[in-house]
Amino acid sequence: MSLTIVRLYHDLLGTYGDQGNAEILVHRARARNLEVDLVEVTPGMAIPRSGDIYLLGGGEDGPQSAALEMIKVDGGLNYAAAGGATVLAICAGFQIIGESLPDSTGKTTSGLGLVDAHTAYDSSPRSVGELVIQPSRGGLPVLTGFENHQGLTRLGADMPPLGLVRSGIGNGFNNQEGVWHGNVFGSYMHGPVLARNPELADAVLQCAIGPMQAFEDPLAQAFAKERRITLGGITTSS
Amino acid sequence: MAGNLRLETACKAGALAGRLSIALGRGRGETLSGRVILALDSKAISKLSSDRDILLVSGTNGKTTSTKNLATILREFAGEGVSTSESGANMPAGIAALLAQNPRNRFAVIECDEMYVPEMYRKLSPKVVVLLNLSRDQLHRTGEVRKVAALWHETFIKDDVTIVIDRDDPFLEYAVTNAGHVMRVSFSGRRHPDAATCPNCAAILDWSKGDYLCPCGLGSLFPDIRADKRLNGPQRNTVLVVEAARLMGAEISVTEADDLISSAPDRIHDFLVSGKKVPTHLAKNPESWRQALGDVTADQVLLSVNARGIDGRDTSWLWDIDYSNLIGKKVICTGERQLDIAYRLRVQGVEVSTASNFSQAVQSFPSGPIQAIVSYTAFQDLLATELGINKSGSQ
Repeated sequence: MSLTIVRLYHDLLGTYGDQGNAEILVHRARARNLEVDLVEVTPGMAIPRSGDIYLLGGGEDGPQSAALEMIKVDGGLNYAAAGGATVLAICAGFQIIGESLPDSTGKTTSGLGLVDAHTAYDSSPRSVGELVIQPSRGGLPVLTGFENHQGLTRLGADMPPLGLVRSGIGNGFNNQEGVWHGNVFGSYMHGPVLARNPELADAVLQCAIGPMQAFEDPLAQAFAKERRITLGGITTSS
Repeated sequence: MAGNLRLETACKAGALAGRLSIALGRGRGETLSGRVILALDSKAISKLSSDRDILLVSGTNGKTTSTKNLATILREFAGEGVSTSESGANMPAGIAALLAQNPRNRFAVIECDEMYVPEMYRKLSPKVVVLLNLSRDQLHRTGEVRKVAALWHETFIKDDVTIVIDRDDPFLEYAVTNAGHVMRVSFSGRRHPDAATCPNCAAILDWSKGDYLCPCGLGSLFPDIRADKRLNGPQRNTVLVVEAARLMGAEISVTEADDLISSAPDRIHDFLVSGKKVPTHLAKNPESWRQALGDVTADQVLLSVNARGIDGRDTSWLWDIDYSNLIGKKVICTGERQLDIAYRLRVQGVEVSTASNFSQAVQSFPSGPIQAIVSYTAFQDLLATELGINKSGSQ
């Protein structure tokens, strides 16, 4: 079985190391003997419409607006998502997949509308620091990441968050962090988030390809656990 | 400076505090001394810099080395006293302290933290500013590169200060758009990893020819100096430093400067650990890691990563770096965030193991040359151990 992973505009949305999420998915999929194709989409290239997983990362305001504009004009990501493709969007990417967000001049602009989420900048200080959340489904454990964002994101009433905040800021409303709607994941967690949370990496892969064989990577587990213990997400005994 | 009682009192108290700090084994005393001076006279920096020729050096990488090199060249070629910080102190307190130390020196070469450039530019009234480079660093503190570039853009307005820049860096070119006098040095262009879009107008920059020229005009001004394309980061910084020294009247060629500046850069230090000599690179952000990795020739490599404030509390940037030249080598990771770097290397196909500390890591290598790359605070800890300073007392 083969899997196509599409990394979108990593030159524009690669300020916070989120491009690593693609490498982790490739690594964990190959460990299951899956054939993986990683497609890099750069400005000027058409976005493939038949990818299995699409990845968006965090970036600065100007590049975020430029990426959003190109994705809108291309239409490929919306097409693929409507067909059930998996999307993982971090930080600026998370804001892009919502209904609305501020553009680089601060004016509200429409997003891709893959999830019911509205991002606005307010006068509160930038949210910077370690973030610990408790997901409510998918059998996911406590997740950790590093957030660094100005905007706050309000989810629509029917939108399930990725988890509830145990420490940190997250979306900034109702104690929620990120979004997990169908096959679309959004989060403010950098790290990259899939490096620090191998269980989330597998949840993303499973959305795309269904049940998989187990893959134990002691180093990945040790890293995830060290972060969770250090940040008080779990106790040493668990 | 005479006749200003407040300033004199402040400087005396500052000097005393500095000596006390050194006597207590709490470091070089600059920061404490400077804090006392500024507490007693908030205008001390402006007063201490008036009537002097100040050169300001800033940028993401190479500030401390470039500052030291510029001071060395000026001492040698201008034959005048030069004040500078030996320790890399680059915030207001450290700057106040070094200005107070030898107030009669004509020159002062000041290293300045990126975020303090606007304030120091105002207070120091420098003759020359050297901007080395701008790339991602400590995102949790300084914010994104574009924010720093915008801050500088607001700072450098038409006046008679000369600003020396590497014009191949679009963030620097943007920073000096409104400046009065700019000396642009070009190394024939190279792709900037953080500049996919124009810092001025946000259009996508075309890097296909290895250089940028935005339709908005950014990048269209011709360089004043063209230098060798093959130079690496530290060498490029030296070229900028030489140009700055020339502006102050030093007649020196880059070759002479190279001879004057010792060949081993400050960011590499040979530590003797468990009886083995370990050449150790200080690397603190993606760009300096790339440079350090490019210098790795040994087959045994030790990497130490911390994430204390100055290192950057978010380690995500470790994923911005390509470690493929470590594939096939024996790599041991240590430091407080050893698992962050170890897992990143594992995903790239590098065989790694971990060790609880630097010395244990060194002992784990069988024999043969070892090279190390370590983050800022890890380097400071190694220096402190070497100097016999107790860790809790070091800065």
